Amino acid sequence: MTASSLTKRPLRAAFFAVLAVATIVAGSRLAASDHQDTPEVELNPRMDINDVYAFPGASADRIAFAVTTSSPIAGTAASFDPNLLYQIKIDNTGDAVEDLVFQITFDNGTGTAQKYTVRGPVAPSMTGTRTMLLTTGPVITGNVGTTTGAAPGTQVFTGPRADPFVIDLEQFFNIIPDRRPSIGPLSGPSTPTATAFRNPGIDFLRPFNALSIVIELPKSQVLAATDAGAKFGVWGTISR
Amino acid sequence: MRFHFSARLVCAALALPLIAACSDNDENGGTTGPTTTRTYQQIERLGNPLVSEVFFMKRDHGLHNNTAPATDVANGFGDKIKTFTNSFNRGPTIANTLVAVLVPDMLMVFPNRAGNTAGWLSWALANGYGGRRLNDDVVDAGLTAIFGNLLDPAAAVLPGLTSDNISTTTRTYGTTFPYLEAAR
Repeated sequence: MTASSLTKRPLRAAFFAVLAVATIVAGSRLAASDHQDTPEVELNPRMDINDVYAFPGASADRIAFAVTTSSPIAGTAASFDPNLLYQIKIDNTGDAVEDLVFQITFDNGTGTAQKYTVRGPVAPSMTGTRTMLLTTGPVITGNVGTTTGAAPGTQVFTGPRADPFVIDLEQFFNIIPDRRPSIGPLSGPSTPTATAFRNPGIDFLRPFNALSIVIELPKSQVLAATDAGAKFGVWGTISR
Repeated sequence: MRFHFSARLVCAALALPLIAACSDNDENGGTTGPTTTRTYQQIERLGNPLVSEVFFMKRDHGLHNNTAPATDVANGFGDKIKTFTNSFNRGPTIANTLVAVLVPDMLMVFPNRAGNTAGWLSWALANGYGGRRLNDDVVDAGLTAIFGNLLDPAAAVLPGLTSDNISTTTRTYGTTFPYLEAAR
């Protein structure tokens, strides 16, 4: 296998997707706590992780993870990029190296005909920034926009959901303009034009959606220890 | 729950000469998706909210995206955070506390602590569950930590910078799976 087996993104389709988003989205193309933070990610919004969440599940023995991506998306018809690998990585040994991963991929379908595949949580064959798909462990599939599974097992949902993040993004860039995107309505002057947030703030993200992944499962599957001091670190990644 | 045994996983488990016959090559643009025989390269990463976005100069966002938490300390993420807080003269207590909780950049969770103590950085501030809930106002939490006197009671509070003056009450979060609001 050679490096050229990395999928080449169809450039015309990516450009068209950018045009479509640019014409639909009246407000910012930036979103969430980590938005279009490099030029490449700006031009390919589906490569953008917006936020990662981890919180108690439906019962004390369960935990939920949510990853929101690609915001802002207007409308409910967006599909995940089948060339990307989404991962949720977990370090439960305290060395900042992942011990378990979830791997989420999508097929070429569109809308609710697109299918997701969730592998894991399983120890990865490679750690760090290079990854191969897991070949062992549980596999769950379903259609985008639907939930698969239920307690006491693993439950998965993927699909467009309302962007949960809230920030006065415009004013943030007025205060710290270095962080501005390079294109779009929030690109702008590189000198500060404000020294404080305005009151009330303006909530740009309210109308928009994010392609989201939600996984809930027994917490013992990510961390076997039961003492109160037991901990893990979690982060999300996108790879191609 | 539907588990299925992917044909591609079966192929990957077989002897090497069979992999070529089984793999999906999606470079021809019309196949069914990923293959278990290729290597993916990370292009984007997120752990804690706001770390890259607030603290890092734009030119360093690529560094964050193309690296893993295991190298955050060696890559000087602590110095980048300190550079930011020093530019606002926030002092060493605030700087060192932020570095201690945000580097390496992983969202920390203590899942055996009480669920009602969940919230971003609650593990550091109040021996809580940690993690991050959907309705955590991480913008205000982050701004207060940097520009307020939450982390250093002796620090000056910078007016107008400790909140962006929108709360998460403008959203409706679900109490049942999948918790996120339906798409608009």
